[in-house]
Amino acid sequence: MDWSVIGKNIGYLLRGAVSTVEISAAVIVLGTSTGVLAGLLRFVPWAIVRTGTGWAVEFIRAVPLLLQIFFIFFGLPAIGLKIPTFPAAVLAMSLWMMANTAEVVRGGIQSIPRGQGEAARSSGLSGLQTMRYIIFPQAIRRMLPPFVGLCTILIKDTSLAAIIGVFELTRAAQETIERTFRSFEIYLLAAVIYFCLSYPLSLLAQRAEARFHGS
Amino acid sequence: MSFSWLAIWQGLPYLLQGAGLTILISAVAMLLALVLGMITALLSQLPWRLPRGLTQAYVEIFRNTPLLIQIFIVYFGLPQLGLKLSAFLSGLSALVLYTAAYNTEIFRAGLEAVPKGQHEAARSTGLTPLQEAIYVIIPQALRISFPALGNNLVSLVKNSSLVCTIGMVELMFVANDISFNNFRSFEIYGTAAMLYVILVLGLTRVLNLTEARVLRKGLAPSSHSAA
Repeated sequence: MDWSVIGKNIGYLLRGAVSTVEISAAVIVLGTSTGVLAGLLRFVPWAIVRTGTGWAVEFIRAVPLLLQIFFIFFGLPAIGLKIPTFPAAVLAMSLWMMANTAEVVRGGIQSIPRGQGEAARSSGLSGLQTMRYIIFPQAIRRMLPPFVGLCTILIKDTSLAAIIGVFELTRAAQETIERTFRSFEIYLLAAVIYFCLSYPLSLLAQRAEARFHGS
Repeated sequence: MSFSWLAIWQGLPYLLQGAGLTILISAVAMLLALVLGMITALLSQLPWRLPRGLTQAYVEIFRNTPLLIQIFIVYFGLPQLGLKLSAFLSGLSALVLYTAAYNTEIFRAGLEAVPKGQHEAARSTGLTPLQEAIYVIIPQALRISFPALGNNLVSLVKNSSLVCTIGMVELMFVANDISFNNFRSFEIYGTAAMLYVILVLGLTRVLNLTEARVLRKGLAPSSHSAA
């Protein structure tokens, strides 16, 4: 064991951590906005849109994220669509985030008692108004804990981008190990940094859950 | 290059073998993770602070660090300390430790969800604490935990794809292997994705049917999704 290697390389790994946070933030923005939309599409009056969205969401959620990344980065160029590493990783992870957010949104909306929607409609609100003013505001509180949980999973899963060569925390660790050959210490340091990113969010999710059940 | 059905036809036997290995690895890892998760969950129920703190630390550390890093620490890091495991054992142990951390939380919640009256009734009929745990509490906790454990198994099937990075052979590894050789990555990864979809949706289906049986005796059912 050689702990001095940690002091010498922590700066580089922290730069990787900054990239991890940036990638996560980009994916959360892209994936959440499209995911909320996809979740709401499960409740439109047109059956074909509902079923189509449902199938797409199920399909994306059933495929491992690593395979999605490889499909976009290695598979699409084979049919002439070449995407560089960074956008390929962000695209794959955003699709993953979109599908899982859509599922959280669907669950949240379905957890609202039917009577709420019926009461809103019978008081003269349109379908869209019912969703906008009655259902969604109530559902969003129930969506929050699983959504925060999803974000912690995403932060951990951004490590997969390293496999296709995107610079982030895991890639920074790999590069450091190629120079120093101290894999145990450096991967441990990376694990500690990931923990510092993920644990506060986990606590937040737990607290949100407790508060929801308390009220 | 145009789409090639031939590449899929030629790759399919190998991909199916890979899918078989994915099932096998997931089954073995889940079995071990169930045992480990149950032990740690029971430890967390002991009245002493030390085992409780240790299991809590185990759960939080393994749930809040990426599985990929855990795999790398076991496979690349531990040899540095003199513990050299094969790719298979490294991948398997990382998968087991990661999955068991989630199982611990699920079991713990299950144990705590068994109504207090059950404990009191068991003790008042003269059962010892050990008998109470084995015959009264654990069976009910298992039943309560079943849906969440099923979801965790589905996650494990997908997470097992990460062990391809250290050269452990399963579906993802086979897909990489074929497409790096014949450059038909679109077709091969597409087929692998289909196989995962069949695996995951099939498994979800089986779990839902089993769950209906397991939960028939009066406990509130909850449905699975492919998470």
